[in-house]
Amino acid sequence: MKKFLVFLLMAFAVLVLAACTANENAGEDPEEEEPATDEGTETEEGPDADDEAGEKVLHINNTIEPTSLNPSIGFDAVSWDPLNNLMEGLTRLDQDSKAAAGAAEDWDISEDGLTYTFHLREDANWSNGDPVVAEDFVYAWKLMLDPATIPPSPAAFLAYFIEGAESFNNGEGTADDVAITAVDEKTLEVVLAAPTGFFLDLLTNPAFFPINHKVAEENPTWHAEAESFVANGPFKLESWEHNSEMVFAKNPEYWDANTVKLDKVHFAMVNDNNTQYQMFQSGELDTATIPAELSDQLIDGDNVYIGNTGGLEFYRFNVNEEPFQNKKIRQAFALAANRQDIAEFVVKNGVEPAFAFVSPGFTTPSGEDFRDVNGELVPYDPEQAKQLLEEGMAEEGYEKLPSIVLSYNTTDTNKAIAETLQNMFSENLGVDVTLENQEWNVFSEAQKNLELQFSRSSFLNDYNDPVNFLESFITDSYMNRTGWSNAAYDELIEKGKTEKDEEKRWEHLYEAEKLLAEEMIIMPIRYYNTVVLEADNISGILRHPVGYFDLKYADKQ
Amino acid sequence: MLRYILKRLLIMIATLWIIITVTFVLMISIPGSPFNSEGSSNATVQANLEKHYHLDEPYYIQYLLYLKSIVTLELGPSIKQPDQTVNDLLGRGFPISFELGILTIAVAVISGITLGIFAALRHNGVIDYVAMGLAVLGISVPNFILATLLIQKVAVDWDLLPVATWSSPAHMILPILALATGPMAIIARLTRSTMLEVLTQDYIKMARAKGLSPWKIIIKHALRNALMPIVTIMGTLLAGILTGTFVIEKIFAIPGMGKYFVESINQRDYPVIMGTTVFYSAFLIFMLFLVDIAYGILDPRIKVHKRGGE
Repeated sequence: MKKFLVFLLMAFAVLVLAACTANENAGEDPEEEEPATDEGTETEEGPDADDEAGEKVLHINNTIEPTSLNPSIGFDAVSWDPLNNLMEGLTRLDQDSKAAAGAAEDWDISEDGLTYTFHLREDANWSNGDPVVAEDFVYAWKLMLDPATIPPSPAAFLAYFIEGAESFNNGEGTADDVAITAVDEKTLEVVLAAPTGFFLDLLTNPAFFPINHKVAEENPTWHAEAESFVANGPFKLESWEHNSEMVFAKNPEYWDANTVKLDKVHFAMVNDNNTQYQMFQSGELDTATIPAELSDQLIDGDNVYIGNTGGLEFYRFNVNEEPFQNKKIRQAFALAANRQDIAEFVVKNGVEPAFAFVSPGFTTPSGEDFRDVNGELVPYDPEQAKQLLEEGMAEEGYEKLPSIVLSYNTTDTNKAIAETLQNMFSENLGVDVTLENQEWNVFSEAQKNLELQFSRSSFLNDYNDPVNFLESFITDSYMNRTGWSNAAYDELIEKGKTEKDEEKRWEHLYEAEKLLAEEMIIMPIRYYNTVVLEADNISGILRHPVGYFDLKYADKQ
Repeated sequence: MLRYILKRLLIMIATLWIIITVTFVLMISIPGSPFNSEGSSNATVQANLEKHYHLDEPYYIQYLLYLKSIVTLELGPSIKQPDQTVNDLLGRGFPISFELGILTIAVAVISGITLGIFAALRHNGVIDYVAMGLAVLGISVPNFILATLLIQKVAVDWDLLPVATWSSPAHMILPILALATGPMAIIARLTRSTMLEVLTQDYIKMARAKGLSPWKIIIKHALRNALMPIVTIMGTLLAGILTGTFVIEKIFAIPGMGKYFVESINQRDYPVIMGTTVFYSAFLIFMLFLVDIAYGILDPRIKVHKRGGE
């Protein structure tokens, strides 16, 4: 009996000890004790309470841990949204979402449009006091392009516009062939492979941020912890508790520090849509997204920000699979989809239906919107759709249409859209398509290998130019995934990338989009948008159609 | 005893090896790649990444590389979070999951056994019905529903506790409640039924006849025997809860290790899949071993080491 009691006692002691030590560890974590105090003021006072000592602390949610804060390695929004506020490239998107001077004060472009000479700001410094020098950009860009970097950069292809970049990245060339040179401490020269009208825009992308080469040469993992992180942007990384939270503080070394109004930014990592909304309700977060179930209820509120996002949701026709080798049959399916209804009643959240491919928000050289200039290319027209289907079937000699499987990766919204499409095809064309859903990775692999007949897809712009998306469909592009190849289209895209005269370049892009609509190798569904709930006392957060959010001008009353 | 433990250790290692091998075969047979993201990419970039992670090597070489990484306990960097090794991820996540788990188990065991005893003593009385009603509710309401409900009521509507994250004792109350209710209900029901059975045994009557006080009979004679089935379920329960729970950790934004079990597979993050599998299996096997030892202590009729010696 005693033995049993001793066992019970010991078991209890172990429990208590384990709990206590775990507690101590949590407290001891080097990062900081701050969350406890933060939380204290907030739960009591709600969203209006300013944090301790009147500091302006913005509380936002990063969803999950950033993949990496090494600029060219973390190729996703969870890494590049925070990074965009810690760092600054040669150019930075301004309040009109245009590329403006960033770490570079100004630049010269040669006659032939190939050589860019950037003059860095004299007062651009790193958070440790080092000056931002041209060598920092050379170091960072070569690191992005080096196939032997550990790990290799998934974003390296964005830099292929630079002379010698592609061959270095695919192992044919060397680092010395890449045409980026530090002329002197504050002058950087870049030679491009071909004229690229949107190069300055491209440079706002976080993949092109500099790395303090002195720090990185000494400590290659400088970007993994807050203690060793050096920033050159509006904020610096004050603390980082992995998988849990990051705290940014205003960076006094930033050249434009006077513009920055916030003292601190607290990034939570909450990956549950309902929870982050509930945290917004209780004042633990200053911004939040709208959970799908509450969309109807909240979307019209005064505290909702809705903005364009460069990107398209669409379905790919596989032109190697019957019946989609026939252009008219492809057109018939696209015209039979009532995208207005899909946007309004299925996706909701204020999204725009897509009646063409390039999303609204790309400004032409003459200041108009690309979308307005090129107009509606893929209307909803069930009558014509029916006729096209008949013509197409006659061309192919079909008595009965071969069976069609529409595939999507498993999510609630994708399922709802697919079911709606199934219904529309049945109603407008009298065709019964079968639905099939797969886990994302399985689906994506099958789509890449052209195993799917008619499948869902999406695209989000990496840089602010229509060619970014249109280029996907050139022959043998990694993003093509339709089996389609068209020499005229390839040529239009080539010109749309390298034409020196901007007006003419955009003309080629209009043509390319029209050709895409004529051939109809993809069926557009809807454009993306950004919908954010913001507390009343928050202002000045910049959300660009293409790019990552910017807190430089943000304020909290 | 020593011989028994040694024998068990050898069996554990063999079991682990089988688990690792089966996991590897499953892992490579599901289609997909860790680099399938919804964003743009390019063939050269993909090839560079595959080469770096040895995914272009034949499978037997990949298998040997994994075995090596497991034997040396150096699981290498996660593919999805390349700045962190799998050891870092598990090393940071496990203490948090363990903390949540151990507190949950403590709450579940103490309240479950107490409820069970009172229900058995007042068999078919009001306490019994209330306790068992609670237990049925606890088993049938999934913890993620309970979690959402608790957040909405306690944190949002009444503003008594914070909604989520894991930064102070106040943050721990809701997740522990949500997580403990299910196991508590199971333990309460088990305790009640075994107590009822034990209380009718002759040795209890004997103890009563000797004039022992009722509480002494319950604690010393009845409960000790009634605990056996609870110890049985404890092994799996401990391993399951201590290594983190995907749903509760996600809802409450707790940085534990639960998410890695699910997300590593969705993302085909091979080193993390291996790491979580090996860690969980080793932990579960060890817990089951502890349970076997505990049997011997609770019930002198079970002599584990004797079997080993025969």
